[in-house]
Amino acid sequence: MSEQQGLGIGTDEWVAQHEKRLARRSGLLGILDLLNQKVSPAIRYGILGVAAIAFGLFVDDFYLQRIAANLGVFLILTLGLNVVMGFAGLLDLGFVAFFGFGAYAYALTSSGHLNQHWPTYLSVPAIVIVTAFLGYLVSLPSRRLFGDYLAIVTLFFGQVFIQLIISSDSITFPGNEESTDITGGSNGIPGLDPFVLFGYKFKGAADYYWLLLVILVFLIIAIIRVDRTRVGRAWKTVREDSLASQAMGIKVNNLKMLAFIVGAAIAGLAGTIFAGIQNSVFINGFDMPLLTLIYAAVILGGSGSIPGSILGAFVMSVLPEILRVQNYSEILFLSVLILTIAVLGKSWKKFAFNIALVVLIGFLVKVIVSALNIATTPAATWAIAPVSKALQHWLVIPQSRLLWGNIGFVLLISLIAYYSIAKEKIKFYLLPLITYVAIFVWEDRLVIEPNTTRQLIIGMLLVVLMIVRPQGFLGKTRVEVL
Amino acid sequence: MSYLGQQLVNGLTLGGVYALIALGYSLVYGVLQILNFAHGDVYMVGAFLGYFVELALGGPTKSIVPVPIMLFLMFAISMIGTGLLGIVIERFAYRPLRGSSRIAPLISALGVSILLQNAAQLIFSANIRSYDTSSFIPSTLGFSIGDVTIDSVRITVLILAFALMFALSRWVNKTQVGRAMRAIAIDRDAAVMMGIDIDKVIRWTFFVGAALAAAAGVMNGLLLRGVSSGMGFVPGLKGFTAAVIGGIGSIPGAMAGGLLLGVVESLTQGYLSTNFSDFYTFILLIAVMLLRPNGLFGKKAIVKA
Amino acid sequence: MLEFKKVTMQFGALKSVSELDITVNKGEIVSVIGPNGAGKTTLFNVVTGIYTPTEGDVLLEGKSIAGKDPAIINRLGIARTFQNVRLFLNMSVIENVMAATYAQTKSNIFSSALGLPSSRREEREVRARAEELLSFFGTRLTGYRWEQPAYSLSYANRRRLEIARALATNPKVLLLDEPAAGMNPKETQEITEVIERLRTEKDLTILVIEHDMHVVEGISDRVIALDHGVKIAEGDFDSVATHPDVVEAYLGKGSADRK
Repeated sequence: MSEQQGLGIGTDEWVAQHEKRLARRSGLLGILDLLNQKVSPAIRYGILGVAAIAFGLFVDDFYLQRIAANLGVFLILTLGLNVVMGFAGLLDLGFVAFFGFGAYAYALTSSGHLNQHWPTYLSVPAIVIVTAFLGYLVSLPSRRLFGDYLAIVTLFFGQVFIQLIISSDSITFPGNEESTDITGGSNGIPGLDPFVLFGYKFKGAADYYWLLLVILVFLIIAIIRVDRTRVGRAWKTVREDSLASQAMGIKVNNLKMLAFIVGAAIAGLAGTIFAGIQNSVFINGFDMPLLTLIYAAVILGGSGSIPGSILGAFVMSVLPEILRVQNYSEILFLSVLILTIAVLGKSWKKFAFNIALVVLIGFLVKVIVSALNIATTPAATWAIAPVSKALQHWLVIPQSRLLWGNIGFVLLISLIAYYSIAKEKIKFYLLPLITYVAIFVWEDRLVIEPNTTRQLIIGMLLVVLMIVRPQGFLGKTRVEVL
Repeated sequence: MSYLGQQLVNGLTLGGVYALIALGYSLVYGVLQILNFAHGDVYMVGAFLGYFVELALGGPTKSIVPVPIMLFLMFAISMIGTGLLGIVIERFAYRPLRGSSRIAPLISALGVSILLQNAAQLIFSANIRSYDTSSFIPSTLGFSIGDVTIDSVRITVLILAFALMFALSRWVNKTQVGRAMRAIAIDRDAAVMMGIDIDKVIRWTFFVGAALAAAAGVMNGLLLRGVSSGMGFVPGLKGFTAAVIGGIGSIPGAMAGGLLLGVVESLTQGYLSTNFSDFYTFILLIAVMLLRPNGLFGKKAIVKA
Repeated sequence: MLEFKKVTMQFGALKSVSELDITVNKGEIVSVIGPNGAGKTTLFNVVTGIYTPTEGDVLLEGKSIAGKDPAIINRLGIARTFQNVRLFLNMSVIENVMAATYAQTKSNIFSSALGLPSSRREEREVRARAEELLSFFGTRLTGYRWEQPAYSLSYANRRRLEIARALATNPKVLLLDEPAAGMNPKETQEITEVIERLRTEKDLTILVIEHDMHVVEGISDRVIALDHGVKIAEGDFDSVATHPDVVEAYLGKGSADRK
């Protein structure tokens, strides 16, 4: 029933929704919409480019250079997935396997592992072509599949890739007595050759940074051009309505294959550079966590939107780095939390009331805890970073951190879930409670487990984003007929 | 011959577990046409619940109740608890997305999967736990047919798996909710117009699907495989593969697909290579999808234009 | 031009179309009428390759096209619109039309990515052609509407856009599935004129499914009535409309006698 109604947005409804659309612009998300419309793409990319060049010229910090280089690799991946999923609408969950293939292929052709040391100008293009061909092979059985079926076949493909790499450390060839180690199994392959281009031997992340910058400039220009012309349009028709697309003379299967091939080639290229930067390859770097990170980046930014992919890649690649440092992660957490309260509270009055209530709850808990003489963890052990130091007079961390953290965590999830269906009136009082529990769980538990925390945040983000703004931050509102 | 028989028994046991997982996918897909990515992690939660029930009853060696009662409680509590989790997941991650784009529930499911996995890791830590079945069900119990021995754990798992499948088909065919579920799978709009409470049916579907996955999770624990936060991914994938092979949305298809997958996996592990068994499963999946795109039991969908 | 030879389309036990013989001559406008479920849309799906007929053959200019891929059939010269309007909703109006020129254009992913002159020239030509096709409907789909997303269009404009999109594939034969459905009398009158203009200006052979008898009367050289997948009458509008079997199919058994 409801799907049918989605069809009927005609002129009248469009006009009728004018007010609603204006209203939406006023919120925080509306600012994003406005930014998206008002700032011309040329200026946006220009600013980005200048910033990137300035970074390369003036930042000497080795750690930051490495983060930037990894961001570059991640950006290539995000742009590649955006072609496959955003343009052609194919849910390719084996995408990360092509990345892994590129990295492993580089490792095998440029290390002492198999004693192969191919020149970079030969190995990288060859790997890109072979990865593209692999993409073609995977697309063959996937030709007739769509949506969920395609997702599962490609997901399985990714799994098989991992299994093949892990198991190929002792292959016995017919006629050979001894088994050969091809992939290094779960030990990975260390000691790769650095890139050598035009006689220059790459020394560190900074060199790869410049290479990545050049590649990204060309890649972004190429993708924008393709998006606007014949092939890009045809991809979008496949995404929109493949039956109508066929009826208009578009060979849907070929276009799906092409999307797969292009995506695989881009991921393969990213893989070779990644292997060069890392100097080694390990199979667990090419598993589900990375895949979900890339997907989260594309979806967060807005599937199908190139600026969206760039934004998403920034957020998803810089976020984990921030979370790794307790001080930064706490500042980020608190600002996001306060921002969320502000957005949910809708008015300044309510916002102020909320904050006051949160502070009150904190002191209340502290008083109760000290009155009952419950053992607590001394502040000196948990309040390390400036933010938590500021919180130590207000927040109580019980002695059995783990137990209470877990209880708090389950409570937090339940409260958030309840909040999403509660009545307005209850929501108003629920919010401060949730805020307090969130701060407690964060300080008690999450801040010491950055990896799990990152994943939790990504998971939560995906669910909430799909409900609140399925088109992502910079994506266009989409209408879909089911 | 005895080796083959042994592999077949192992395969059927494994297949029973896969079939139970596959059923959850198929039920949800039949009603909502969404791929519930989080199903594998629901299965993981089921295995954990079973583990904690076992601990609460005194642990594998010092159980305070007789073994059959302990087993019953492990299954019952885990299935009910996980079933409720299924309802909660549907309510918060899928219902708000009903009627939105096709890709949104998939992404949301991916999010739920990540959430469950990491929440489990946070709460239960990354340690791999074991049911330690051999300390309360001696493996010497059991019987032999010719050279093939079937130990008592496998018998328990096999009988339970088939009993649950039988109960499910009764439920789907004989009860009001089951019939409503089939009606929705065939034509949702028509079903709504006939006055079927679609929310109620979907709640039941998720409950039953999750409960079956929980049973599979407990069985997995009984078969002495490790229980950990990441354990759901591969069986989830296999379960979905089984559902696809059987024809997604088809209940007998999911059962047959699961059993077939289990047997194929067991045989390839026994005769070809332990390391590459997923690879052969993958080839089976590709072959079925190419030869019978709608699965072994699926009906050919008519394109509406 | 277009010939159906004993075409049968069976779904399970149901014969949606049964041993149908139809011939459409070049430059003709033929309407297909019949109650719901008579097999009209199935007929279109068979011609455009979405279904492969269980038996029989479909010939375009004497060559068999039955069972070919929909994209191939389109390239051979048959374009269609859909009963439930299947536009590329999240693409702009002009993109919808431009996308349909895919089969007649050449630039590949490399020439596009590199921005080669040939690719740019082609892009300009395609755009000009799309603008020209959209101007076929007067000012209804021109100017600021070009860049609007297709989902923002009214129902009537969606139907018009779908026709423009079909024209962009350079067809010889155009199949229109209920082009006037959901339109008001004024728009219906307009679409009648548009169909006539399509024949004269675009040199098309047109097969129309339509329920609105005013449209059918206004456009048809010939009318074919179907019921339960069988042809029950064929001829000019008046003879088919008064044919006892047709009246019976629409109004039920016995109606013809009472009249």
